[in-house]
Amino acid sequence: MRALYRSSRFVTSTLRPLLYESYRFGTLLPLIGGECSFCSHSREKSREGALDLSQYPPERIRNFSIIAHVDHGKSTLADRLLELTGTIKKGHGQPQYLDKLQVERERGITVKAQTATMFFRHKFQQHEATEKENAPNFLLNLIDTPGHVDFSYEVSRSLAACQGVLLVVDAAQGVQAQTVANFYLAFESNLAIIPVINKIDQPTADPDRVKAQLKSLFDLDPNHALLTSAKTGQGLEHVLPSVIDRIPAPPGKCDSPLRMLLLDSYYDEYKGVICHVAVVDGALCKGDKIASSATGHVYEVSDIGIMHPELTPTGVLLTGQVGYIVSGMRSTAEARVGDTLHQAKSTVLPLPGFKPAKHMVFSGLYPADGSDFDALNHAIERLICNDASVSVTKETSTALGMGFRCGFLGLLHMDVFHQRLEQEYGAKVLSTIPTVPYIFEYSDGSKVKVQNPAALASNPGKSVTACWEPSVIATIILPCEYVGPVITLCSERRGDQLEYSFIESQRVLMKYQLPLREIVVDFYNELKSITSGYASFDYEDAEYQKSDLVKLDILLNGQAVDAMATIVHNLKAQRVGRELVDKLKKFIDRQMFEISIQAAIGSRIIARETISAMRKNVLSKCYGGDVTRKRKLLEKQKEGKKRMKRVGSVDIPQEAFHELLKVSKE
Amino acid sequence: MPRATPAPLQLLFPPISLPLKYKPQPISHLTFVRSSIPCPPAVYRNSSTDYPHITTPLPPPSSIYIHLPFCRRRCHYCDFPIIALGSSSSHYDDDPRINTYIRLLLREIRATKPYSSLQLPIKTIFFGGGTPSLVPPRLIASVLDTIRTKFGEVAADVEVSMEMDPGTFDAGRLEEMVGVVGVTRISLGVQAFQDELLRECGRAHGRREVDEAIELVNSSHGLRSWSLDLISSLPRQTEEMWEESLRLAVSAGPQHVSVYDLQVEEGTKFALLYTPGEFPLPAEAQSANFYVMASETLKLAGYEHYEISSYCKPGHECMHNITYWQNEPFYGFGLGSASYINGVRFSRPRRLKQYEEFVKDLEAGNMSAKSNASIVEDKEMAMDVVMLSLRTAKGLDLKSFQRSFGESVVLSLCRAWRPHVESGHVVALDEERKAISIGKFDLELNGDCQLGRRVAFLRLSDPEGFLMSNELIAVAFGVLSP
Repeated sequence: MRALYRSSRFVTSTLRPLLYESYRFGTLLPLIGGECSFCSHSREKSREGALDLSQYPPERIRNFSIIAHVDHGKSTLADRLLELTGTIKKGHGQPQYLDKLQVERERGITVKAQTATMFFRHKFQQHEATEKENAPNFLLNLIDTPGHVDFSYEVSRSLAACQGVLLVVDAAQGVQAQTVANFYLAFESNLAIIPVINKIDQPTADPDRVKAQLKSLFDLDPNHALLTSAKTGQGLEHVLPSVIDRIPAPPGKCDSPLRMLLLDSYYDEYKGVICHVAVVDGALCKGDKIASSATGHVYEVSDIGIMHPELTPTGVLLTGQVGYIVSGMRSTAEARVGDTLHQAKSTVLPLPGFKPAKHMVFSGLYPADGSDFDALNHAIERLICNDASVSVTKETSTALGMGFRCGFLGLLHMDVFHQRLEQEYGAKVLSTIPTVPYIFEYSDGSKVKVQNPAALASNPGKSVTACWEPSVIATIILPCEYVGPVITLCSERRGDQLEYSFIESQRVLMKYQLPLREIVVDFYNELKSITSGYASFDYEDAEYQKSDLVKLDILLNGQAVDAMATIVHNLKAQRVGRELVDKLKKFIDRQMFEISIQAAIGSRIIARETISAMRKNVLSKCYGGDVTRKRKLLEKQKEGKKRMKRVGSVDIPQEAFHELLKVSKE
Repeated sequence: MPRATPAPLQLLFPPISLPLKYKPQPISHLTFVRSSIPCPPAVYRNSSTDYPHITTPLPPPSSIYIHLPFCRRRCHYCDFPIIALGSSSSHYDDDPRINTYIRLLLREIRATKPYSSLQLPIKTIFFGGGTPSLVPPRLIASVLDTIRTKFGEVAADVEVSMEMDPGTFDAGRLEEMVGVVGVTRISLGVQAFQDELLRECGRAHGRREVDEAIELVNSSHGLRSWSLDLISSLPRQTEEMWEESLRLAVSAGPQHVSVYDLQVEEGTKFALLYTPGEFPLPAEAQSANFYVMASETLKLAGYEHYEISSYCKPGHECMHNITYWQNEPFYGFGLGSASYINGVRFSRPRRLKQYEEFVKDLEAGNMSAKSNASIVEDKEMAMDVVMLSLRTAKGLDLKSFQRSFGESVVLSLCRAWRPHVESGHVVALDEERKAISIGKFDLELNGDCQLGRRVAFLRLSDPEGFLMSNELIAVAFGVLSP
């Protein structure tokens, strides 16, 4: 069949549909057989009539992403392109079409990369004489990507399926930190970069200034920048033609055996695991048997198609095309993102995968509000089917019971994961203070990687000879009048300045090496607040640095609360200990006995507070025989106790745990 | 005021066998099993006689609560169902509102079907309010007559209690209530001995009326005992004032003293004005101190602290209230009153109009549809028993509790309370009511020997345990209803 297809590629395009039909029938009939299946197939055929993918050899395909700093108009531009190509109807569908998650819409961010296939007629500049109707049709795959730094993992995955990007920059705000980060991601992947200066309708728009920045920072030719307003539609007509003219066609070989990159996967209640794939070489059709290079497992492709903009079956995916497959995988754990899929019968050299997700932040997740472990377990299992970038292992806390230690790409990612657990899966979650992975080395030469501070022995019986903590290289772009406070902030956070340069007369780019722990909580908020929101920030991970770290325990009535332990820099221990103790004092209610709250390093107490005993809680008024009312009052009190987590004899309200998360500026 | 509101009876509810099953259960799955299935409300109106499958009907109630809602005005802390008559008139004996209400009340009593033919003589009757002393003695007499007609002759030693407020009676009226009508016990609503505090509470009387009332009651013959009622933690109440009130209360010589800690109830004037624990209300520590002062002063003066807010000279307990605390059945009549009959708790409407409707329905025999009666489930029953018995100095009788609810429940309860036994808030007592040390308590808790061999009662300590009663009861509820 492949041979037939190969030959058909060289036949003129008008003949192709006919050949394509025969190709498809030829392939599928022996596989499915039976009248009934035939009927269903013909129905499918009529639906797929408009979507004859064989019309689109690689040279008629462009795969591109839109990358941008957050709020520079990426999702709106994507909406416009989808409308322009008739993929979605104008004014129909929700804005931010590709942001499907509730959390994305609520926060106005993109968390999950999404693909949409569009069709567009375009004549190459060299064939100006061609009539519009005769202009060749192109298949364009738009891959929308997250803008936030936490999700650069998603970005790099999406870029692996692209040959070019639209680098969107706000015409007023100019280049921001994530613009820089995203530019380098694309640049290092050797992608064609089309700068798009967006929002030119704003009164403060200054496209020339932005062009100058693009030139000085990225050496991008100012004449190549497109000027658009996704809001008014101005300039949009040049976007897709530029994509076609300036982004190369996918380089795959049609006549090679199938090699297909697994871009992403998610779990659908009805269809099971759906994989997003990019066909690099060869072709794949429904019914084919495919194998995973990573696991060797073989699957049969039961559905195949493109996202146009929703799942649209096509029966086939050809070289250079991006789409989805359903293959009877039972869980998304089998769908290893970055895996190479190939025909089961052939062997191929696996494609270079992309770098796996790196977990920067760890936190314990426990059932809250008296909900049980099984419910949380179930919710997490289902959510990780759609967010493979979270690592999950079971752990047990004496304070909180059974729960999970989860690794996240960053703090926003952690937040989003919580929100999705609650919104999409109805779970009630209590999370512990986020931590980063530290390394401790002991006098006996042993090394321990610590993802949970509680797991680090407070009195190990052997001395710690060295500890390391992960660091990041942070890029901060800001107006020069805020430089002073930002430098102060960075040095408070134990940062080393690596670079300080003007990107134009009034704007400064700074690079700092910072301990990851220092930016995990609250750094970005602090930065925004001291710069009135004018600074932008991004980071990439860097190597581990030697550091002077200690474990800080919190003790209630002398008993350490494992879920409240943290690892902090020695010099900051005193301050953090004091803050944690004060916070707890505020949120733990008085109980029948006095409660001492202590912060300790090993056996040394560094901060202490006392909550005096409750003196009175009595219903002395006589309600006569109205026993029911009295009982109900006390039942309410009992319910309140149920929401508490108990450590030893001390009841800790869940809010106390939530509040501890906010103690940050260690 | 803070006094018994409601209680009682209802014959709408035929005997259902209530006794609980004693079925030891594994601790992890505490369940309660009842020997017979509770009847749904629909059957209540059936006559009480035809329940062949019921072998052991509960004893019929022998206590009656009567609610007399009239007051001169509403006190600032009061959230009881009352009818304020207005302070302008000083003479209410011919007030048509009182007459009308009593007629309605009598109709309710008459329309109530007797619980069973086995009705035992009534042992306690409590006139609560409101201010029952505002109701003319002849009308009180008509209520008692109706009760006798309905439930037969009352016990020879019947306790007939009445709440009376200073300034609402003179020697003649008191004499009529006691000598003619048959009141045997008075609960005198003094509340405070300071004019400024009485004003602050919106009371309709002052210190002068208090002194007069005490003298009247003390010189009355025929009363078996009387109670002086006080409220602690009033706004702007100082330690000196409280000390004075306690001293004057003792020197007034009542056989019984009730001390209520002010509760700021939703919807009251106090709730609008004040926040508990904040000035002008005393701080929590001060309020606790008031409680301790009362406990110490009254015990020193020879009173037993037999219930969280009740003190008495030996043998002068309020028998009516003991009915409540022992979770025994009682009839209830009148606006807003509650009854507990045959395992069913029922509260009457708190508004006059709805109460009138209720009486009409009762007379017409169609109660079931509207009744908000609720059968007390076994679990709730266990909670009630714990909640009520822990109010008393006697405490929870473990043997009887174990018989009703099973050994595993008792064991879990002891485990949950162990830290509080250790801290001294809960006291474990043996058969002879001698305190058991924590060491011996632990032995029994952990040993294989049957629980209850040594520990026979659990009570709250006085005053620290009583002061924490809500906390401790909530801990027990956590065991009974996880």
